[in-house]
Amino acid sequence: MLGRFLGRWGFPALPIAFAAVFVLVPLALTIVVSFWTRVGLVVRPAFTFTSYAAFFAGARLLVLERSLIASIEATALSLLLAYPIAYFLAFKASPRAARTVLLLFTVPFLVNYIIRAFAWTWLLGRTGLINALLIATGLTSKPLDWLLYSDVAVLIGLVTSYMPFMIFPLWVSLAGIDRRLIQASWMLGAPPARTFLRVTLPLSLPGVFAAAIFSFVSCFGESAIPVVMGGVGYQMMGNSIASAMDVLNYPLAAAISTVVLVTMMGLLLLWYVVFDARAFLGMILRPRG
Amino acid sequence: MSRNRSAIRFVSWCCLSVVLLVIYLPLVPPILFSLAPGEPDAALTLRWYLALWRDPVLVSAIATSLEVGIIVAIAATILGLGAALAIRELRVPRLILALMLLPLFVPGVSMGLATALFFRLVGIEASLVKIAIVQTAWALPFATLIVVTAMSTFDPVYLEAAYVSGAGRWRAFVDIELPLIRSGVSGAATFSLILSFNETIRTAIVQGPLNTVQTYIWSTYRQVGLSPALYALMSLLILLTLGLVAAFVVGGARPPREVSVGDFAAASSQKP
Repeated sequence: MLGRFLGRWGFPALPIAFAAVFVLVPLALTIVVSFWTRVGLVVRPAFTFTSYAAFFAGARLLVLERSLIASIEATALSLLLAYPIAYFLAFKASPRAARTVLLLFTVPFLVNYIIRAFAWTWLLGRTGLINALLIATGLTSKPLDWLLYSDVAVLIGLVTSYMPFMIFPLWVSLAGIDRRLIQASWMLGAPPARTFLRVTLPLSLPGVFAAAIFSFVSCFGESAIPVVMGGVGYQMMGNSIASAMDVLNYPLAAAISTVVLVTMMGLLLLWYVVFDARAFLGMILRPRG
Repeated sequence: MSRNRSAIRFVSWCCLSVVLLVIYLPLVPPILFSLAPGEPDAALTLRWYLALWRDPVLVSAIATSLEVGIIVAIAATILGLGAALAIRELRVPRLILALMLLPLFVPGVSMGLATALFFRLVGIEASLVKIAIVQTAWALPFATLIVVTAMSTFDPVYLEAAYVSGAGRWRAFVDIELPLIRSGVSGAATFSLILSFNETIRTAIVQGPLNTVQTYIWSTYRQVGLSPALYALMSLLILLTLGLVAAFVVGGARPPREVSVGDFAAASSQKP
């Protein structure tokens, strides 16, 4: 009896318990610890805003601003690249070709983005491939040195790290659109551009927002790209968390991380309330032939 | 009109190829620098690959990576199967899917910090356990998505047939459904293994005394910078990742075999 009960309910309950214990509880704990206090090297339970005050006062506000700008730029740029690709795969390519191209975008995403960032530091460097090409084609006479260890470099790092995976949610939402709606718009005389703006784009927004949250939050909390491609002293939210941990200031690290987590939760809530997250999740679960 | 349209198609494919080229470009330099470090016209050499095996710290990191990778591949696949079943069987499929996908939206450093605080509070200290848990949590959303996608192409009428033949839910799942979604299961395991081999940030925060290959690369970079030996190591990881994907495409993604009457007979004969 017990065996059958576990067989029926225990197996499906296992991943839910795992996610609750090792994802939800730790994330909640981060928020709790952000209010704790640090005495010497010991962290004590308390309810104080010291860590937040330390974060929002002074130079770290610049870190917040820079992270916001970089994340918005990277997300916008990634959407501009990923949306046409997903659109093309959903509407213009054969299902077989679409599957192949999606797989091709998966493979580099799987290779650790830090390794790819190391490679970019050479590609973008003074003696790297990009500068060599620019000089060979006569576009510049001497190597551009703002390509590496700059905002541009961080932007390239962020876009190439997270853009490939954004194609998936966009493709899911575009491929899930009922074609009859587009045909109806066409039959009622709307030109293609109008059909896209009034029918296709609005219907794909749940997927656009899923991709945008994924990119924005990942970039906002990114800790390795600024170190590898931003150069010495380039601080963003993610590596501020890491450097607070390096000096064992866990409440401060937790406070900065809480700012990231609250941003994430706010965006997920917005997705749920405004952009129909339920419809998007339903599209993932819809049976396919 | 049709010539115009095929011209647009051609240009679209060209743009797509350029984006793919840029995305694949960073996979090349580590391999070049590991084979011919220094001058561009230097002779090819494999000495940096051989040098890797003389570093005892690295050799033990490779052993840890393999151990953790196998644990994560098994754990994330089983949990992903359970999650896909929960999504189908329980009343709140979208809520469960949202819970499973949540780690995708949490930056690595935030998730690492959160789990590290949790481990410290609960008193989990074993390095291998900590690394395996944090990597399984990272691989689980991908494993769940892959299994869910495989299950969505599975026709539930086969399950009905199994029930009619007298099989219990569990037997029907193991004997009928599991063989049919086999490519999804092997995909989830392959992805989880690859994600485990390529994870740095979460692992580096919780790791404790043990190193994985990725945390070895990251800490060596932070301490002494990049070297031909590190490029050799990165090349091996890139080739391993490409190899695993290729193995999956060739071996695991074959269409599932047809269900035969014998399967239903087997499922029903084992009913309790």
